[in-house]
Amino acid sequence: MAGTMAALAARAAGVRVVVVRRAPGATALSSGAVGVAPDTWTPPGEPFASRLGTMAAARRIAASRPEHSYAVLGSALDHLEEAVAFAAGRLGDVIAEPRPQPFYIATPYGAAMTCALVQRTMVAADLASARGTLVVVGFRGHLGFDAGLVAGGLARYVALGAPRAEPAEIDLFMHEEASVARPHELAKALEAPGAAEQAGLLLRRALPAGASAALFPPVLGLSPSARVMERIAEAVGIPVAETVSDVPSVPGLRLQSALDASLAAAGVPLIAGELTGATVPGTSSRVGDREVVAGSWVLATGRFVGGGIVRRGRLEEPLLGIPVQASENGESGVHLAVRPSASLTARERRAPQPLMAAGLRVDRHLRPLDAAGAPVHHRLFAAGAVIGGHEAAADGTGLGIAILTGYLAGRAAAAA
Amino acid sequence: MESYDVIVLGGGVNGTGTARDLALRGLSVLLLEKADVACGASGANSGMIHGGIRYMLSDRKVTELACRDSGYIQRIAPHLLFRIPFLLPFASREEAPSLVERATWYATEVYVGTYDQYQPLKRGKPSTRLSAEDLYRLEPALRPGLAGAVTFDEWGIDSHRLCVLNALSARSHGAVIRTWTEARQVLTDSGRVRGVRYHDALTGETGEARAPVVFNATGAWSPGFARRNGLRVPMRPGKGVHLTLDRRFSNYGITCTAVDGRQMFLMPHENDSIIGTTDDDYYGDPDDLEATHDEVEYLLEGVEALVPGVRRARVARAWCGLRTTLYEYGKNEDALSREHAILDHGGEGAAGLLSIVGGKLASYRAQSEEVADQIVRRLGRAASRSRTHLEPLPGGEAVPDVAELAARHRVAAPAVARIVYRHGARAEDVLRLCDDDPRLRLVLCREEGILAAEVVHCVRHEMVRRLQDLRRRCRLAVGACGGLDCARAAAQLTGRELSWSADQIRAELADLLELGWRERRPVLDGQQLAQEELLRGAHQGVGRL
Repeated sequence: MAGTMAALAARAAGVRVVVVRRAPGATALSSGAVGVAPDTWTPPGEPFASRLGTMAAARRIAASRPEHSYAVLGSALDHLEEAVAFAAGRLGDVIAEPRPQPFYIATPYGAAMTCALVQRTMVAADLASARGTLVVVGFRGHLGFDAGLVAGGLARYVALGAPRAEPAEIDLFMHEEASVARPHELAKALEAPGAAEQAGLLLRRALPAGASAALFPPVLGLSPSARVMERIAEAVGIPVAETVSDVPSVPGLRLQSALDASLAAAGVPLIAGELTGATVPGTSSRVGDREVVAGSWVLATGRFVGGGIVRRGRLEEPLLGIPVQASENGESGVHLAVRPSASLTARERRAPQPLMAAGLRVDRHLRPLDAAGAPVHHRLFAAGAVIGGHEAAADGTGLGIAILTGYLAGRAAAAA
Repeated sequence: MESYDVIVLGGGVNGTGTARDLALRGLSVLLLEKADVACGASGANSGMIHGGIRYMLSDRKVTELACRDSGYIQRIAPHLLFRIPFLLPFASREEAPSLVERATWYATEVYVGTYDQYQPLKRGKPSTRLSAEDLYRLEPALRPGLAGAVTFDEWGIDSHRLCVLNALSARSHGAVIRTWTEARQVLTDSGRVRGVRYHDALTGETGEARAPVVFNATGAWSPGFARRNGLRVPMRPGKGVHLTLDRRFSNYGITCTAVDGRQMFLMPHENDSIIGTTDDDYYGDPDDLEATHDEVEYLLEGVEALVPGVRRARVARAWCGLRTTLYEYGKNEDALSREHAILDHGGEGAAGLLSIVGGKLASYRAQSEEVADQIVRRLGRAASRSRTHLEPLPGGEAVPDVAELAARHRVAAPAVARIVYRHGARAEDVLRLCDDDPRLRLVLCREEGILAAEVVHCVRHEMVRRLQDLRRRCRLAVGACGGLDCARAAAQLTGRELSWSADQIRAELADLLELGWRERRPVLDGQQLAQEELLRGAHQGVGRL
């Protein structure tokens, strides 16, 4: 996400851009929706208790967490809405139009997530705006998703204004091969001609009274052009949506495809391979047997999943050797990168884990800093999870930071 | 008022083994375990039916008993044991070994050769001498400069399954097994034991059970339990830490020497590798064990000296247990005896209460037999012979053919192999669930080979009350995936079987995740960190757990 946003923003400023990628990273494994700024003043696990707008929630995070990227960016945080709108515009095939208030999307675990951007396949079951009864659909033929768990878990939010949720099982995926399929195989199966329609018809027969929208497991097709959600909705007669996903993630794969497609649409080449011989912007490096020269670089290599930050006995940034900052007992610094894992984590599993938030220090222009605190190079920028200060996967701000820092870093790189 | 012949406290290998022996002899038994079966040392040991080669010079009785009883365990649970041949490499300081070094190697060969006399007891192969060329051909990952090795044979086992099978056997012969039920207090009357007061942690139920004999097999919890009842169980609890690597890292077991001269090992075990172990006096809470950074480094350093590549291995977990070592003041941990002792608390005003301290996993059956004999005598019953070495444990009647089962039930052979390993002859019951309900062929864990059918089978038949119990039944969330693939699906299946509410399913999932976190936290490095990021994203981010 961060790399693509940076590339698109730079391209929009009129410069030539190339993206070098060893492999898709954490975005392809993400929930499929974009968390930007959950309200940190609501109890954990109770997102629905807040109605704070995304921008206000981001400012609240910046005010209470000085090491968080939203705080480090200072006044650049004001560009958040613009950046989110930019991302939504470029990913319009998959991402629905943003609203000032966040969406609340159900998860397969019977919980809900705060998301500033959601996929078109998720909008209809937004807990904040859905009315009437939400029918949670289960596949009788496949044990991977449990409608009872989702509906039962959502019951907690009814008192806060969420719709009632009722489970309904339909006789889908009833044959042997389908019963053991992985999520992406289920999604592909629904794309086949007649399959989505059949699901809709089966659901129509099993609809409880007062059902105003249907919530499916997160397998509503891999490609937006297959229109799985739309076809089911036409057949059942009510709006249809899917939950976000854990791993493996069909919505995550869809999001990654949309990112790649947006690069192609903007005329940005995507080179697959590992960058070697990289030293400073302006000098040449290689990807396989191709030489790449660029005046400005944006490092959007991710954290542990992406491989942008690694720990081999100590925390390191493997591509350019930029010092990594870690936090321990409230103290932050690059000197803590050598500390043992256990001292960079907390015993309480649910507590914030500084190790999982380790990454590069950046200035407010998104330039990574060296050990002395000075920018490594005036035309080197960083975006996304490679930047420290937030726990991308778990604190609900990961893709939001990727979008904002990617957008800002791309523009800064184009102007540098 | 519930009344039994014997109340057994503790669901480890001694508790379940003794409950089985007593039940087989026709006595009425109640077993109380405050958590789940094999939650103590019986579930945190090296995973070997250890012949005890280490004790051959100091404690020959221990070695002989361990080897003889290993043979019996093989007979009653043939599916549960697998061979781990070990290499004891020889290193020399210079190119050409010195006289002292060659003499040491010869002495080692003789020592291991002496151990050979016990191998037939446990159907182990005799030792062999390997040249350097042989050694590197068999184990290329070893560092260069080794002069050869001696081999010896050990047997690996899943000790959780061993305890579960003993408990199931006891239950099938009339014993009442209650997990998640703590014996809070020993009840006495005029210096004699008359029963216990207990508390079921899951339902809140409290009650009293009567028996003239109570057998305390609560392991490392014994000293605390005894103290609360005005009694004494002297013990020197010894903390042992093990690391699990995410795959088979060596072909054979390799005996290594740690920085302080202690013998340790890297060995293949089921689908991964285990590095072990430490031995340190422990004064903390047995419910609160966690591996420290020093312990992890100590173990990796010890293996690195012989297998340099281990630093690139992915350590998936660090797990700990407490040995129930006999108390002796003034000795180093390693030098303490591994013998067992049966304490009689008659002199403390609790006649009829027996406690067991010390011992080895490999000798559990013999230890249980000894205790059962004593208990039968105390109860004044006619002397009876133990049958625990003759009667197969559930599933141990025969080892089914994996390929045949795989073809007949149309399940992938690697998954069938895991099911056969864990369930032996009962694998047929597990796989039949797939025939009746094809949805149960869903693979929950590709690494550990866990199918939905196995989870359902364990929940229905193997005393599962909490989601975390499945860690010990079928290795749920214990592999390198940390539960990323399997935890939610297994929680859903278990919730359906046990009629849990959505809130209960979520609470049980959170509980399962706590255990995994505690084991992963000391070893977050390399690829394991990427896995942790995915796990937290899924469970905290999406699951809100």
